[in-house]
Amino acid sequence: MEKKSLLKKITGSREASLVIVLAVLLVIVTILNPAFMTANNILEILKNNSITLILTLGMLCVLLVGGIDISIASTLAFAGMSVGLLIKYGFLSSTFLGFVIAIAIGALCGLIIGVIIGYGKVTPIIATMGGMYIFRALAYLVGNSQWAGADALGSFKNFALEKFLGLNKVIWVVIICYVIFFLLLKWTKFGRNIYAVGSNTEAAEISGINVANVKVAVYVIMGTLSGLCGALATSIYASAQPNMQDGKEMDVIAACVIGGVSMSGGRGSVPGALLGALILAVIGKALPLVGIDAIAQNTVKGVLIVAVIILNVITQRTLDRKNLERREM
Amino acid sequence: MAGKSGREINATPQNTLKKSILSWEGILVIIFLAVLVLCRILSPNYTLNNVLREMPKYLSEIFLFFPMAYILMLGEIDISVGSIVCLSATAGCLASNAGTPFPLVILIMLLVGGLCGVVNGLIITRFPELPSMIVTLGTQIIFRGIAEIVLGNGGSVSVTDSASFRAISKRVGPFPYMFFLVVICAVVFVIVSVKMKFGRELMAIGSNRRTSLYSGIKVKATIFKAYVIMGVFSGLAALFLTAASYGANTTTGDGFEMDAIAMAVFGGIATTGGKGKMIGGIIAAFIIVCLRIGLGQINMNSQLILLIIGILLIAAVILPNISASFKAAKKKKSQA
Repeated sequence: MEKKSLLKKITGSREASLVIVLAVLLVIVTILNPAFMTANNILEILKNNSITLILTLGMLCVLLVGGIDISIASTLAFAGMSVGLLIKYGFLSSTFLGFVIAIAIGALCGLIIGVIIGYGKVTPIIATMGGMYIFRALAYLVGNSQWAGADALGSFKNFALEKFLGLNKVIWVVIICYVIFFLLLKWTKFGRNIYAVGSNTEAAEISGINVANVKVAVYVIMGTLSGLCGALATSIYASAQPNMQDGKEMDVIAACVIGGVSMSGGRGSVPGALLGALILAVIGKALPLVGIDAIAQNTVKGVLIVAVIILNVITQRTLDRKNLERREM
Repeated sequence: MAGKSGREINATPQNTLKKSILSWEGILVIIFLAVLVLCRILSPNYTLNNVLREMPKYLSEIFLFFPMAYILMLGEIDISVGSIVCLSATAGCLASNAGTPFPLVILIMLLVGGLCGVVNGLIITRFPELPSMIVTLGTQIIFRGIAEIVLGNGGSVSVTDSASFRAISKRVGPFPYMFFLVVICAVVFVIVSVKMKFGRELMAIGSNRRTSLYSGIKVKATIFKAYVIMGVFSGLAALFLTAASYGANTTTGDGFEMDAIAMAVFGGIATTGGKGKMIGGIIAAFIIVCLRIGLGQINMNSQLILLIIGILLIAAVILPNISASFKAAKKKKSQA
């Protein structure tokens, strides 16, 4: 009996079905192109998608409290541009300090958005839409139609090339972020508060959680990660441009949704978000390998996103119906 | 008015002058006038003629605002409209280049837009569990993706028969044709939202979906219709955009959805549904258009204009909230 319920638990969980989807994807791609499953290739995919992977964690927290943040790509550009230009004009030479400044700018942007949402009671989509315009404009304005190229960035771009214990430093950052967030959401009071606010805001308020503060904290986390990604993107692509990563927020939201994170809050997990981001990354890398024209990639990606979310709904409906049937017995 | 029980029922709203000036629409009119005066001071070229001449460049987005307001009133959202504009403009340009007569080209553009709206509407009404934000995020990628495939490697197309496209950007006196169409649409959309059954149903669904369903409103059909209208008007916006730019490329209409939503929200239409007035959004749309023309005339950095719009957007929502919470605090004090 016990074994069966464990089996049921595994097959019933959303993460399990995502693992199956990812496995099937990987098998298909490997059959079509055996060169895909090499360690180098996989590390390359991880590195190239590190921005999406990290931002997905922040978006997970934001979606968990029932919010949304479409300003992240603008925050990223603002932070990245600021650091890139500081290095270009020689105000900054330390890579570490560059990351600290980018993170601080991101956190400040997140704090502003968070206060507007948490205390100003503005709907998240509107507040972050305003933030999207404002921070992107700031990214252009600090640049004053200048940008920082590979020559100007000096040693800052080496961060993305250096290795630590055999792994690229960028991948280490991704791994550390995932470990922190897994622990944070699962085993800390703050993490459980996020879930509580998202599942039932009123109940959370009554049970003594300061809902506004949790919301502010979540957007600060999102901003911090965006700032971090601003520095990372500047280092990885060896350039800081005001239009960098434009539209990234949609990829990140898509990764969360594929990973089973609910848009209405309260449901979603770090492993789910990771799987969602990985599935999106593998799809992006696999399409050219299986011979789909680069031009058709966006269409296929869009169709897959819509298909996955519809499939999610249909499975949920059958599950609910089955549960009802069982109760009837 | 005396009720059945003999008690006085005094529920008719009083439209005093003070109240109508202090309403959000009244404030918007004041902001509008302030923007006009400010732009006139800043730029000597800011005359009626010049403003009207430059209007078509900015005005095509207003066609997206009208149906977007309806969708927001429903408590839904559509972020795929920019991509629909792109796909529809692409289809129109290609059809025109293939020698299709111009009226048919217009029809094709509206049809392509409508069809995209049907796709959105079908998915959203068939799977009500899915938030419309996510569905239209998916279709946003798909519609633009299809345009990318159709446009091929070059990624752009320009119309060879620019004469017919130019014909619709002609003007009567200083007024472009488009201006009259905007006015007609504005009147129709306001009347429908205030006086017609469809408009009232939109509001009812937006304020309480379940109650509307139980009171016999065909919720799904209404939502579906709103998305189809949205699609058709995206086609219309694409038509006027093509008439102004004589072509289409893969970035056509990029970000239009945000501008349309910004106009509606600045006009006091809540994204949570059931709140707001069409007329407020129309004034807000003209504020944004006139501000852009004015700041464009003094060669202000276009990014700085975006910054101002972003701040206006947040201020438009946060100020009423703050004043409401002040009022609530005052009430609490007087009760205590």
